[in-house]
Amino acid sequence: MLLDYDRMGWLRVALLGFTVLVAAFLLLPVVFIVLLSFGSSRWLAFPPPGWTLKWYGELFADPAWLEAALTSARIATITAMLAVLIGLLASFALVRGHFRGREILRGLLLTPMVLPVVVFAIAIYAFFLRLGLGGTTIGFVVAHTVLALPFAVIPIATALEGFDKSIEDAAIVCGASPLEAKLRITLPSIRIGIFSAAIFSFLASWDEVVVAIFMASPTLQTLPVKIWGSLRSDLSPVIAAASSLLVVLTLALMAVTALLRRKFRT
Amino acid sequence: MTQPFLSIRKLRKAFGAITAVHDVTLDIPKGEFLTFLGPSGSGKSTTLYAIAGFQDPSSGDVLLQGKSLLAVPSHKRNIGMVFQRYTLFPHLTVADNIAFPLRVRRRPDAEVKRKVADMLAMVRLESFAARLPGALSGGQQQRVALARALAYDPPILLMDEPLSALDKKLREEIQAEIRRIHRETGVTILYVTHDQEEALHLSDRIALFRDGRIEQTGTGEDLYLRPATDFVAGFIGNSNFLAAEHLETIDGAATIRLGDGSVVSGVNVNGTFGKGQRARLMVRPEAFRMERNPTSAELTVEIVDVAFYGERRRIVARTAAGQELDIRPTTAAMETYNSSLPRRQVFFDPAAAFLFPA
Repeated sequence: MLLDYDRMGWLRVALLGFTVLVAAFLLLPVVFIVLLSFGSSRWLAFPPPGWTLKWYGELFADPAWLEAALTSARIATITAMLAVLIGLLASFALVRGHFRGREILRGLLLTPMVLPVVVFAIAIYAFFLRLGLGGTTIGFVVAHTVLALPFAVIPIATALEGFDKSIEDAAIVCGASPLEAKLRITLPSIRIGIFSAAIFSFLASWDEVVVAIFMASPTLQTLPVKIWGSLRSDLSPVIAAASSLLVVLTLALMAVTALLRRKFRT
Repeated sequence: MTQPFLSIRKLRKAFGAITAVHDVTLDIPKGEFLTFLGPSGSGKSTTLYAIAGFQDPSSGDVLLQGKSLLAVPSHKRNIGMVFQRYTLFPHLTVADNIAFPLRVRRRPDAEVKRKVADMLAMVRLESFAARLPGALSGGQQQRVALARALAYDPPILLMDEPLSALDKKLREEIQAEIRRIHRETGVTILYVTHDQEEALHLSDRIALFRDGRIEQTGTGEDLYLRPATDFVAGFIGNSNFLAAEHLETIDGAATIRLGDGSVVSGVNVNGTFGKGQRARLMVRPEAFRMERNPTSAELTVEIVDVAFYGERRRIVARTAAGQELDIRPTTAAMETYNSSLPRRQVFFDPAAAFLFPA
């Protein structure tokens, strides 16, 4: 290799230092938020004068926070299920199909990942206003499913591409109908892709804020919208507590994905 | 006429402008081990896939005991199949793989259990029942695939180059296994391969494919000793083709003149030749003799190279016309041979030579 780490000499130290700096830049804000959520200062002073669990207490005492969290969980769960279902069907078409416009379809399914979210948010806001879907769970779910689809299609299509169709054919010769062969053989074989798709699309909805701000109504708010709203009205450490919990849940889901991948690989 | 067990009638398969199978007609009796042999792209796999139901033929028919299979979807044909690639279900254990075809047929649990045990014993993998396919070697995987394909006692077993991914030693081992299983179960096997040795070892009969047509069907001996065309002669075993001129044919035995002017009578002939027509005479390397006998024809050659190959020697010789010959006498026949002579006669029996069009 041109740049072999073992042969870089003193440059290794520089590279290591640079990497640590980048990692710190990415992670420090999160660490600060978590530290502040345990700090006793109402004004988010750093370093905190003392440590407390008070803000977590306030967070759990306020039903609005809990409701926002449940709303987020509900919307993200339905979104994940829909995205996986549609992503699965789309992946079969993209990987196995031979039809005109297949590449266009692939591009279209991945567009939400590259399209500026705010453009999509305004478009869907205007559209849903007309349909009367603004501020409804259905509206949230539909909008988030569009955003989550690329995160479902990519892992499922990748897993399906790596699955030898001869195995499905073998199940069919064994007497399984084409549908039964897919349900009993193909889907279990690509389950890593399906689990990844479910978790990624759950997260895509769970921490989505731009579209959610447009979709939200005073009675229907997701957790990120609630954090955003609270931030604007009063800067309280409760927000830091809520954010910390959001981070913890996200990390937990990522850890589960990593563990599942490791388990399936062996 | 008695009804054949499996019958392929005028099968044709075209992919757009390309015709993969032109016109394949074949009757296969029950219990036969028939091999489709041929170079890649000769239509042998396409024919097999049409029988399995993965390809719809453009025309023609496939009949099992007189009933057409074409309208029956793959999963209801009740055919066993072993594929070229490893197709065990990766998330199921060896035992569950073998049980799969029985479970989709909703067989009672006790029967499934008993059958799985029988099948594992048949392929000698009893101790691997609880393993996942990923923990098996390629040869073991193909043996499990064989057990899975035979678990539901299908009347026909299709095998599509099942050993091509294995190394030579393992291939020979599993060939013996397949022969034994064929003998024990009496299942009718259609086997696809491009490996002539594999075909000769395994089959009762071989159908040799070329460009979507069957060139010749017969036992390995038929194809080797009585090739119908020069393609068959060239594909099965090794062969020398000598330039010749046809003089006359009487009762299926031809008289010809070779390039050095010598006249040979009594060679086998397929088809009709005119007087003076240019032709090619095929002689197997091992049909050459180093000693004269009363019926043999002779050829003066220059010895280019002699190599020791264990039970045989391999001689490279050149005829007066400049044609290279591959000659493989047994080592015993070479004991009295004086290798210091650069020029000498070699002999062949005209009855072991075949005349083909040039």
